[in-house]
Amino acid sequence: MTSTSSSAWARVQDSPWFWLLPAGLFLLVFYTWPLLDVVRLSFTNASLVAPDYDYTFDSYRRVLRDPSTLRTLKVTFLFAGGSVILKLVLGMALALAIDAGVKRGLHGIVLVRTSVLAAWVIPGVVVGVLWKILLSTSSHGLLNYWIQAAFGNSVGFLTDPDIALSTAILANVWRGVAFTMILLYAGLQRIPPELYEAARVDGAGAIARFRFVTLPTLAPVIFIALVLITIGGINTFDLIMALTEGGPARATEVVGLRVYQQVFQFMNLGRGAALAVLLLAVNLLMTLIYLRLLRINRKTD
Amino acid sequence: MSQVTIANVRKTYGSATIIPDVSLDISDGEFVILVGPSGCGKSTLLRMIAGLEAISGGDIAIGGRVVNNLQPKERDIAMVFQNYALYPHMTVADNMGFSLRLSKVPKAQIAEDVAKAAKILGLTALLDRYPGQLSGGQRQRVAMGRAIVRNPQVFLFDEPLSNLDAKLRVQMRAEIKELHQKLKTTTIYVTHDQIEAMTMADKIVVMRSGVIEQIGAPLELYDHPRNLFVASFIGSPSMNLIHGRVEGGHFVSDGGHRLPLPRATAGLEGRPLVYGVRPEHLALADDGFEVEIAVVEPTGSESHVLARLGDNDLTCVFRERITLRSGDRVRVRPEPDNIHIFDAQSGDRVIQV
Repeated sequence: MTSTSSSAWARVQDSPWFWLLPAGLFLLVFYTWPLLDVVRLSFTNASLVAPDYDYTFDSYRRVLRDPSTLRTLKVTFLFAGGSVILKLVLGMALALAIDAGVKRGLHGIVLVRTSVLAAWVIPGVVVGVLWKILLSTSSHGLLNYWIQAAFGNSVGFLTDPDIALSTAILANVWRGVAFTMILLYAGLQRIPPELYEAARVDGAGAIARFRFVTLPTLAPVIFIALVLITIGGINTFDLIMALTEGGPARATEVVGLRVYQQVFQFMNLGRGAALAVLLLAVNLLMTLIYLRLLRINRKTD
Repeated sequence: MSQVTIANVRKTYGSATIIPDVSLDISDGEFVILVGPSGCGKSTLLRMIAGLEAISGGDIAIGGRVVNNLQPKERDIAMVFQNYALYPHMTVADNMGFSLRLSKVPKAQIAEDVAKAAKILGLTALLDRYPGQLSGGQRQRVAMGRAIVRNPQVFLFDEPLSNLDAKLRVQMRAEIKELHQKLKTTTIYVTHDQIEAMTMADKIVVMRSGVIEQIGAPLELYDHPRNLFVASFIGSPSMNLIHGRVEGGHFVSDGGHRLPLPRATAGLEGRPLVYGVRPEHLALADDGFEVEIAVVEPTGSESHVLARLGDNDLTCVFRERITLRSGDRVRVRPEPDNIHIFDAQSGDRVIQV
């Protein structure tokens, strides 16, 4: 009796489902179900304040007809694209600098790494508030206080519609560049030093070594970083919420912020959900494009 | 002319001295092997010649030109690394032509030079492959191809065969030697394997703790080791060394065993000495001294016998097949012309046989 029950238990243990179950349940309850519910809600006219709702395509129709949707998407792409480019370039520069510093045994490298990382662990809302204090045009804006003292006028970092988006991008890059740096730095550690030595003997200068050794070896890591920071950029909400609340004149209104406004300011659950599904579609599309690029890149290898 | 001159070269890391003072002349077309145990400074010296390590003192000249402060690419050298160091995302052809591409040689010329080098090394069929698709031996050959395409003044090899299996190593040894005979390019080769040094080199440089112990042709080092270190490092199985002293025309080991001496031993009486004889210079002979057999290892072509002479282990290599067993007693005699006597304190050789 004991032996049959223990062999049944062994069979359960041998099945992969048994081991996948806890994580699977977790994902189902906290990810899949809310996701499906958002999709379901996007086909309703549900509101936060009225309990009854009907199923309809009206939410999508209105979202797609609304001219501000297109503008929001444009702002989101500019924000994400600017963040991606700057994060990659600066993250690469930081990773190379820290790598070179460590290899030469320079002092203070740990300090540099820790300070860059510190920005990363600060929550987005706090980053938004910090940069707001730093850049505000009002009397408590730190940077404008100095600009005022030096030049006699102030710069509307957060109030000028032409500048505000760039400011938001900079704040986002300041916060997230550490993540790119860590990914690329880890990638750099995997490049055998002999490759650089062989390249030096072959006559490659610093730029040629970067182009012919570092970049190609690092390409898969760069692609992963690209996917992750693109998705992160497209989904940004907290930082902009705290920094500009989408202003001035909706110049920094990204899709994530608009979803929030639809649901929690206009109480329009259906339309907010439709926007959220749109955001999901954009994310999926970008990921598919990157995956395709990665595959092409692998093939040429 | 592409001779290499190393004059009073030093290497220090902070307060640690790796190489105190090394001088070495390498003539044009010579195949020189730096050999020694790990940490002896041989790789450091090679990397200083390559320009991958800074020189702390002294001069290194290649082809009569002092290169102390020149970048590796300006030294007109090519290097083959232990782990091949091939660019993984480039084809074999691109790997081999990379240096020419960097120095802006026209594409047609690069293709021609690469094809020529590939033909020498038997790589023609592999030119479109990536390093990841090649075997260890093929990668090693590509690394050599990358070096010869450039037609440099000097080839530098840093333990190039260490990552290969034993059989392939023997084959590549012959290939590298043949390549050198064909190209006649000055070659400096680092290894810890004395067999590689013996089989390939025109001139061997034995190093220990950053100091050159002896420089010479392979057989010169084998026949006339200048000190105990070289004596035990060169040759395999290594030389038998027995501590003792000279008394009344005989060598008497610390265990009291009498061993024959070749000739004049005047002035050696009394002080502590080391008696050295190579395993292959011991022969079975009725008038020899008696040893007890511990282990017999037949290799097919010869028999390796580990014997005991009192407390001393004695390795013998006999051409004939041995039917003896452990515990048997047998008489052996050293060839009188191949006995080496060293001073036990300084380790230096005391009589030139």
